[in-house]
Amino acid sequence: MREWIEVFKRGISIDNPLTVLMIGLCATLAVSTKLEGALFMGLAVIFVLGMSSIIVSSIRSLVPEQVRIPVFIVIIASFVTVVDLTMKAFLPDIYTFLGVWIPLIVVNCMILGRAEAFSYHQPVRLAIADGLGMGLGFSIVIVLLAAIRELFGSGEIVFLGARLIALPGWYRPPGVLLLFPGAFLVFGFIVALAKWYNTRTSGRVVQTDAHCTIEEGVR
Amino acid sequence: MAKRAASTPLNMIGAVLATCLVAASALTVTYELTRERIIEQERAAERAALDAVLPGTGSIESAEELVASATEAAGSVTLQGVYRAYDAAGALSGWGVRVAPRGYSGPVSMVVGLDRDGSVLGVSIITMSETPGLGTKIVTQEGWIEQFVGWQGADIDASAREFDAIAGATRSSAAVRNGVTAAGRVYAEVLSAEEGGAQ
Repeated sequence: MREWIEVFKRGISIDNPLTVLMIGLCATLAVSTKLEGALFMGLAVIFVLGMSSIIVSSIRSLVPEQVRIPVFIVIIASFVTVVDLTMKAFLPDIYTFLGVWIPLIVVNCMILGRAEAFSYHQPVRLAIADGLGMGLGFSIVIVLLAAIRELFGSGEIVFLGARLIALPGWYRPPGVLLLFPGAFLVFGFIVALAKWYNTRTSGRVVQTDAHCTIEEGVR
Repeated sequence: MAKRAASTPLNMIGAVLATCLVAASALTVTYELTRERIIEQERAAERAALDAVLPGTGSIESAEELVASATEAAGSVTLQGVYRAYDAAGALSGWGVRVAPRGYSGPVSMVVGLDRDGSVLGVSIITMSETPGLGTKIVTQEGWIEQFVGWQGADIDASAREFDAIAGATRSSAAVRNGVTAAGRVYAEVLSAEEGGAQ
């Protein structure tokens, strides 16, 4: 159980797909203009990542290495299509907002990356922990990013048609926050915050770049 | 760790085939379960848009037989449907033209309502993927979309000279204008000739 929690926590903190591994960024930057869209994007990713982790891990001994990628892609694409059809049927407004980004979860390197790097080599129990942890880590960051961008970029947060928070009328929202430069700016601050937090809590320097995590003991 | 299946031809073909089969069946089930609802949602959205742009009409029917020639008249703008509107007495009262001009980040699917003389009654946007806060002003900016009311389908290019775009949403605004002018051309080239013979 300790191991399970450890793996689960890694996806949120020191192996966070967005702030540390920096994978799956393009969808994140694109849909984080509205809180409700980002929240459902997060849920969609948790579902797809969780389900594909379970399936990949449970059939891992049956899949020869040479054909693993087509098999993973078919599994991932199927779960994404399930999400796509379900959202289209029951949440048409959210679906309209997320648009092409839902089908594009198929090629989100976070999902295929976790199947390759983790689920294909680990027992189902841990694969679930990894899928959920990574998915939750993704969701927390994208929701935070979207909340900041929507509130300060458009002056209010609207969730499923209800206005949650509105800034006073004298506040003139800078439109740049809703555009891509704004996404990068806010994301940069979130990365800094996450790095500060990770360094403080784990007591070590977590050095990152786009491809790997190098951990150095400093204490 | 579990032993991996050997990479024999049989194993490889088997693994891929089995995965595809299971995936295909699962997707078929999902599709069947959601199909009705998806069609329903799309119809409801379209119906609401048509009702909004054709006020006070009795019934609205799709005019399938005009779609081919209307597509040609719309030119580079994608045409998604043509509708006849009848008043309470059953006489033809106007037209609905559904078009999807290209916006800043994808098609802007919208319905343009025209009366019998080709005068624009209203424009309603069904789906779009414009930048929230900027391009979405084509829907949220009060009074903006009403500027198209009264444009003349028979001479749409003259009406289009009076066009007022939104600052910061130039391309999204232009998309709506292109949609309305395409609907105008559809009226001028196809619908105006239809009117006498239709009902």
